[in-house]
Amino acid sequence: MAKQGIDIIDCDVHISLRGGHDLLPYMPDAMKRRLLESGTGALYSGYYSPVGVPRKDAAPPGGGPAASDPDFLVEQLIDQHQIDYALLTGTMYDVSSGHDADYAAAIVSAYNDYVLDHWIGKHPSFKGTVAVSTIDPQLAAREIDRLGQHPDMVAVIMSSAARMPFGQRFYHPIYEAAERQGLPVMIHPGTEGAGSTNGPTAAGYPSYYLEWHTCLSQTFMAHLVSLVCEGVFEKYPKLKFVLVEGGVAWLPHLMWRLDKNYKALRSQVPWLKKMPSQYIREHCYLTTQPIEEPDRPGDLITLFNMIDAENMLLFSSDYPHWDFDDPHAILRTMPADMKRKIYYENAKQLFKL
Amino acid sequence: MSVHFVAEVEEIPEGHRKIVQVGKRSIGIFNIRGEYYALLNYCPHYGAELCKGIVSGTTMESKVYEYIYGKDQEIIRCPWHGWEFDIKTGCSLFDEKVRAKRYEVIVQEGRIGLVLGASSSEAKGEQ
Repeated sequence: MAKQGIDIIDCDVHISLRGGHDLLPYMPDAMKRRLLESGTGALYSGYYSPVGVPRKDAAPPGGGPAASDPDFLVEQLIDQHQIDYALLTGTMYDVSSGHDADYAAAIVSAYNDYVLDHWIGKHPSFKGTVAVSTIDPQLAAREIDRLGQHPDMVAVIMSSAARMPFGQRFYHPIYEAAERQGLPVMIHPGTEGAGSTNGPTAAGYPSYYLEWHTCLSQTFMAHLVSLVCEGVFEKYPKLKFVLVEGGVAWLPHLMWRLDKNYKALRSQVPWLKKMPSQYIREHCYLTTQPIEEPDRPGDLITLFNMIDAENMLLFSSDYPHWDFDDPHAILRTMPADMKRKIYYENAKQLFKL
Repeated sequence: MSVHFVAEVEEIPEGHRKIVQVGKRSIGIFNIRGEYYALLNYCPHYGAELCKGIVSGTTMESKVYEYIYGKDQEIIRCPWHGWEFDIKTGCSLFDEKVRAKRYEVIVQEGRIGLVLGASSSEAKGEQ
């Protein structure tokens, strides 16, 4: 299976807890009982996947959920696909769909400590991300400051399911902290439509997981436009933002539409000093998985070329989820230079690996 | 280069404009606080009659979430798509390379003249 010849940084690897009890030793005493009685407080989207979420071959032989055993993850992902670095993006996005900011913050703090104890250092490819809840950005900022200087914590990760678009000033404490700590902010889907978050599509609640998953891009588009228009990248000029698992092929049309509208409507956002697409090019990255698969594979490369996407994309596999992308199976028609950037160099530079 | 007298000063009071025809060219003349400026009545975007748009000020470059109103009377918005142009320079506000053609205006003995011609006068925004 393994093929040689390309360096790979996998920017989306979903390690998992063996169970909620893993967090108990890291929880404040006042919260332990709640964890025992109600779990992590996760509120799921309610969309049923007929293929499940984990790959069916990813259960560790020693038991436990997929990607809960570091040794088996190394064997099945890192070694088999020859991955140089894996960003452990975890599974803690659902806390942002809850209602209790302090409990959510306690859960993500415990989770981050668990990852540092049980994963980071187990293999040289493992790099951590600081999980935060977006319910209370001040608490998120505190967590970013608590762990931001850890040498193996290379980004902040939070859910893309939200109560309002991410450019709005409510969220700015997160960006201020991330910029202060030199960490890119990553957003990842998972609970769109769950709990206190907005509906998973702009038209409302669809019926099926197929629809839910296809339309995840909508939320990403709204967040990205909001980030640019609300001046986040003017206010935090060193901030980098990574859109994980939200699709890629929509990017050209969004940049074109935004720039075109800006030409007429710039007076609403006079703090923008460049064309909106330029902020996206300079500050934002998108991960590849699940990469779109057009009937003519070359069309995707053409689309990348339209917007110089090779400098904005980062390879990701989404291991161990059902729509996993094998780095050696996707994007085979991609030119070598573009491939080197997307699979390795962009992420190496962004996460300072 | 030639001067075409196209209006009397009384015809264009402060804050007003007049659109005149000079040969094949339609040109708008604007009075901004007593100074006259002229733009070709043609938007470089899709060719709308630019000089028929609304004249106003706009928001100046600012810090995030700050609004500073400026350039009062100095902005024309294309009547079709709302692009803003600085009447004094012809430049659009989103990209100074996108500009409406401007002309020099002279006033002699109460008459307003447009300076037209192939040389420097058919200015492309230079002062």
